[in-house]
Amino acid sequence: MNEILNLLTGLAVGLNLLALGTSRLRLLIRAVAAQGVLLGLLPLLLEHGAMDWQLVFITIATVAGKGFIIPTLLHRAMRTANIARELEPFIGYISSLLLGAAATIAAVVIAQHLPLFPEHVGSLLVPGAIALILTGFILLIGRTKAISQVCGYLILENGIYLFGLLLIHATPMLVEFGILLDVTVGIFIIGIIVDRIQRAFDSLDTRKLTALHE
Amino acid sequence: MLTGQPGWSWKSDFLLGGTPLTLLLDAVSAFFLVLLSTVAAAGSIYAIRYWPDSTHPRTAPSGRLWWNAMITGMGLVLTAANGLHFLLGWELFAVSAYFLVSLERGNPQVRAAGWLYLAASHVGTLALFAFFASLAAQTGSWELGPMRDNVELAPLFWLAFLGFGIKAGVFPLHVWLPSAHANAPSHVSALLSGVALKIGIYGLVRFSGWLPTPPGAGWVMAGLGCTSAVLGVAFALGQHDLKRLLAYHSVENIGIILMGLGFATVALERDTPYWGTLALAGGLLHVWNHGLFKSLLFFGAGAVLHATGTRQMSRLGGLWRHMPWTAALFTLGSVAISGLPPLNGFVSEWLIYSGLLLAGMEWNDVAMAVIPAAVLLAVTGALALACFTKVCGVVFLGAPRSAPAERAHECGWGMRGAMLMLAAGCTLIGLFPAMFWQVLSRVAKDWSAVDMSSRAPDALYTLGLTHVALAVLGLAAGVGTIWFLRNRVRRSVTWDCGFSAPSARMQYTAGSFAGIINEWFAWILRPTVHEIRPTTFFPSAAQCASHTPETVLEHVVEPVGHKILRLADKASGFQHGRVQSYIFYLCVAILVLSAAAILSGRS
Repeated sequence: MNEILNLLTGLAVGLNLLALGTSRLRLLIRAVAAQGVLLGLLPLLLEHGAMDWQLVFITIATVAGKGFIIPTLLHRAMRTANIARELEPFIGYISSLLLGAAATIAAVVIAQHLPLFPEHVGSLLVPGAIALILTGFILLIGRTKAISQVCGYLILENGIYLFGLLLIHATPMLVEFGILLDVTVGIFIIGIIVDRIQRAFDSLDTRKLTALHE
Repeated sequence: MLTGQPGWSWKSDFLLGGTPLTLLLDAVSAFFLVLLSTVAAAGSIYAIRYWPDSTHPRTAPSGRLWWNAMITGMGLVLTAANGLHFLLGWELFAVSAYFLVSLERGNPQVRAAGWLYLAASHVGTLALFAFFASLAAQTGSWELGPMRDNVELAPLFWLAFLGFGIKAGVFPLHVWLPSAHANAPSHVSALLSGVALKIGIYGLVRFSGWLPTPPGAGWVMAGLGCTSAVLGVAFALGQHDLKRLLAYHSVENIGIILMGLGFATVALERDTPYWGTLALAGGLLHVWNHGLFKSLLFFGAGAVLHATGTRQMSRLGGLWRHMPWTAALFTLGSVAISGLPPLNGFVSEWLIYSGLLLAGMEWNDVAMAVIPAAVLLAVTGALALACFTKVCGVVFLGAPRSAPAERAHECGWGMRGAMLMLAAGCTLIGLFPAMFWQVLSRVAKDWSAVDMSSRAPDALYTLGLTHVALAVLGLAAGVGTIWFLRNRVRRSVTWDCGFSAPSARMQYTAGSFAGIINEWFAWILRPTVHEIRPTTFFPSAAQCASHTPETVLEHVVEPVGHKILRLADKASGFQHGRVQSYIFYLCVAILVLSAAAILSGRS
């Protein structure tokens, strides 16, 4: 079980690098969606054998939300805004990749120093979660287009979700659904805002939002 | 209470802010409450004519509202025996004082004075918040009461000293005081100076009595008292604005009070020798005295302002003729504040003197400090006398310097009555000082269990008798002089140095009168003088204007404030609206925090 778990987590971390290194928004959204699907499958593996209907339900909902509904919303926002590429990032793609790699290594180092339960020590869950959160931050800081930033936010959220898996037995299902619903609604609203930004500034460059400050 | 009845305390059944409302009235509270009620009553009567609806339709009602709120707040502060409610009362009175100071909001000067007051007052309140919160944290409850045995509480005294010192206007903390007193309506100035400053003193008295004092507290109080006294009067001498001058005299008198209290605290550490009780009695009595004569003087200044419309002394003059009552009462207040017999100012200063000189005769380490203090007190008295000679001379004597001063009119009976009431108080304490000794001994007992003999020292009886004799003689001499002036004196012009057409402007001005003394203190006053000297034998134009700045405010507080503002401007560069950078700050903060957590967890 643990090997498959680590494999999936490793793949998700690998998708980070794809997300950091690409300038094409379509690819970025796909990477985030794939990451969502991979992580959505994890609860099934964590539960040793006993198939709980709650767990299945969470898995289906997560996979559907992160893998299909949210990417669809983002694709639509991209189409209405009529852009396909991130052209002027704050942090270049090569630098982002290097930073992402550094963040992943840092995540492994940090995880070794954290006081963890013995059953979590061998797994990639904790370093993976930290790596995802840091990658999310790098995307949020380094990109200027609103859609790329949303993707950064989603990766960040994936990291938090991965942390949450550590507590899957302690967290009531209601909370899980609450988080999922929040994210979906958040993306929905961002989709609308993206459209508005596009209409107001003729661009999705969030740097132009500084024109709004006092 | 002051006549010897036991203390009164009341605890409510309901909760206010999580603790029951606790009121405590002991001799210390009662002592200050008497002053509050006297001055507030006089001020209320005075305000009826001074700030009526007919001339101030917009501000008179709100003035009455805040006046009463302020009195209520001060009453609550004086009786609260719970830190939380003390702070509530404190804030109520501080804020309503702000609204009272800035009643005439149309005038930018008034607004500036109000803001300065509010800022300074809140610095003090902040210190008091810290004080009461740490007190409550260390004792476990908001309840206040004697806790001298708890030695760990001693350092808290410095916080209290900062908070109450700002309110009392101790010298380097007095920055708000002159402009607030000068720009408030006069009855408000009287309440501010006569009572509000004393609430600061009350806090010091209360908490130096209830809490253990750190070693050296008495010396600091006495030292700052001396500084305030001398520099307060020095600054007063440099002023041309009548009310600003009076405000600086408040700084001086607060200094005298602190001198008494400070040396009493020093004495308390040495098992309170006799000289300590004298200094304490003097300091406490000066609280009443200053409250009485300073309110009287502010009322007098208000009457002058009301009659002439200006506070600038160089535009007044010759008012004795038009306003004999005000002039006489103001002069009586001046005599009292200068510490001249036979009025009350002399009594309290005499008590402090005798305490200090007795201590000086012991020839120990205290004596070395006490004798210079006595000298400084004497210097203060002399300078105050010079200052009030200047005020009375320039404002009431001579010839009117401007048209409004010529058309001045006497104030109404309401205002006169209020002044007469306070003047009667001054005279009463001056002539029968021994009557008040028992009151003082009870206050001292409730302050810090100081055992003062309930019988006044014999010298005080002698002093009272001398004062009565002096007063009688003085009255007789006055009546005689008036009779003499009316009947036997031939009137003619003053010798005019050969210049036969003197005008009213050729009189000593406030600035020229105090010129020499101002030069002595130029190192701290830093007066600015603009003059155009006459150059030829037949000069056409010459000019001289002097101005004394608010040295502490302009040379200390403002530069520091500007530095802080510049730093703040630089820091505001971090807030530019770029989301990416904000997230970056967030990220850095989280990383630093988690690194700190991990590192500290490992070690």
